[in-house]
Amino acid sequence: MQASRARLFKEYKEVQREKSADPDIQLICDDSNIFKWTALIKGPSETPFEGGVFQLAFSIPEQYPLLPPQVRFLTKIFHPNVHFKTGEICLDILKNAWSPAWTLQSVCRAIIALMAHPEPDSPLNCDSGNLLRSGDIRGYQSMARMYTRLAAMPKKVLLPPCELVVGACFLTWLLG
Amino acid sequence: MGSDAMAHDASTPAARDTKKKRGNRSAKLKQSKLDVRREQWLSQVKGGKQAKALLSPAAAAAAAGANSGSLILASPHPPLPRQRAEIQIRGGEPEDYKEDSVGAGQDVCSSDLESPMHSPVSYNPTVVCLQQHHCSGNRGSRSLSSGSSAWSSSRSVSDADDEDTSGSPENDDDGVLDDWEAVADALSVDDNHNHQDSGPAAPPAVPASCPELANASTRPERIKSRTRAWSPDDVFRPQSLPSLSKQASLPVSMGNCWVAMGIGSAQKGILSSPIPCPICYEDLDPTDSSFLPCPCGFHLCLFCHKRILEADGRCPGCRKQYSSAPSVVGTSGNEHATGNLRLFRSCSMGPNY
Repeated sequence: MQASRARLFKEYKEVQREKSADPDIQLICDDSNIFKWTALIKGPSETPFEGGVFQLAFSIPEQYPLLPPQVRFLTKIFHPNVHFKTGEICLDILKNAWSPAWTLQSVCRAIIALMAHPEPDSPLNCDSGNLLRSGDIRGYQSMARMYTRLAAMPKKVLLPPCELVVGACFLTWLLG
Repeated sequence: MGSDAMAHDASTPAARDTKKKRGNRSAKLKQSKLDVRREQWLSQVKGGKQAKALLSPAAAAAAAGANSGSLILASPHPPLPRQRAEIQIRGGEPEDYKEDSVGAGQDVCSSDLESPMHSPVSYNPTVVCLQQHHCSGNRGSRSLSSGSSAWSSSRSVSDADDEDTSGSPENDDDGVLDDWEAVADALSVDDNHNHQDSGPAAPPAVPASCPELANASTRPERIKSRTRAWSPDDVFRPQSLPSLSKQASLPVSMGNCWVAMGIGSAQKGILSSPIPCPICYEDLDPTDSSFLPCPCGFHLCLFCHKRILEADGRCPGCRKQYSSAPSVVGTSGNEHATGNLRLFRSCSMGPNY
């Protein structure tokens, strides 16, 4: 337990130091619990996930790094290797191919790679897997893009217009 | 009693409820924070290029600032140069010295104490010293020129030339060595001053006149250490300081050891930058760095290796099973490493124990 804590703390420092090293990944440690992390990853370009920001939840076992972290998508994603409801990820390095030399950062990188290269032969999302396996790339891409739009794109928030209105009011008040 | 229990019962669900609510609220707060962060991040990426362009000059300026700070320590102590200037101005007034011998000293002393920049505690000894100094100088000879020459016999030529006009304000900046306080400051603070040669030349002369200079010359050092810690790789870090961080202490001591043993710089190069263990991120010590449990060449510390052997026993580098009898030293072309290992051991037996 002490070892995992020390290692996570080192990783935290590393993340703080190299914040801009990987522009596609943002790792955030929970304020109160170093065994809970959140990651924001950007959908890789030239995939249906481009433009989306996906939230990952890390739950790290006390035997880390000997055991892999448990990672799942919090943002809904249409991907053959991600469970559509739970967000569970089917990725070998998160299961039997884990190596203690991996870090949370590299896990994020692996997940980005998985988004770009789905493995339809071991699907957690059968619909998505079937689309790909049947060769309906276009169908898969449009579905994935739709869900990216729906769930992973920042909504066009109502705040900016509100602010504009308030700003305009303030300006008129100032001038008048 | 019964009513108490009732009350307790009644209160607990409410408390639970509020707790739940609080939990909900904190979760919501967290989520909203994350959302905000995400938006910020997105907007940052959009404006990333401009931001970078903006940032780079600022970073350069900051770096320059840091540089100059380490060189002359101008930013951490603004009071020092100013104080020196004050003292010089006072030193440059000939009337003070001619008219009363003790009064001038006290005057300097009191004004020194009054000036708001100086904390009285740290400057008390120097003030006393200053006073003595003034007195002795004035007793010996009541004229300014001889007095000043007695104080700092190693004044630079240009200063001596300026002596007749020493009362004028333009000269005050140049009269660095008018008293020992300025000497002490000039030593540490003012490396880049135009009288570069006079700074280092002064200290041997002054101790003869004032025994407390030892204090004075160490004082800026103390101030430095108070305001700013030396980083281990700082160029200006005094070599005599012990290296505190574990990371630095190991290679330094071992490096010294190598030098003492007359062993070439090749091994020293290996030691000078400790590699962290990729598993626990602790620095590999010499024994660890020559420990190759797997033919793939993946380095890790003995502690992590033991833990992995207790778990699934696969090399983190290639995910192959470790052989049952881990070879401490790889077989191919590792004569050098063996030698290293032995040397490390003999080394650690040597001066460290």
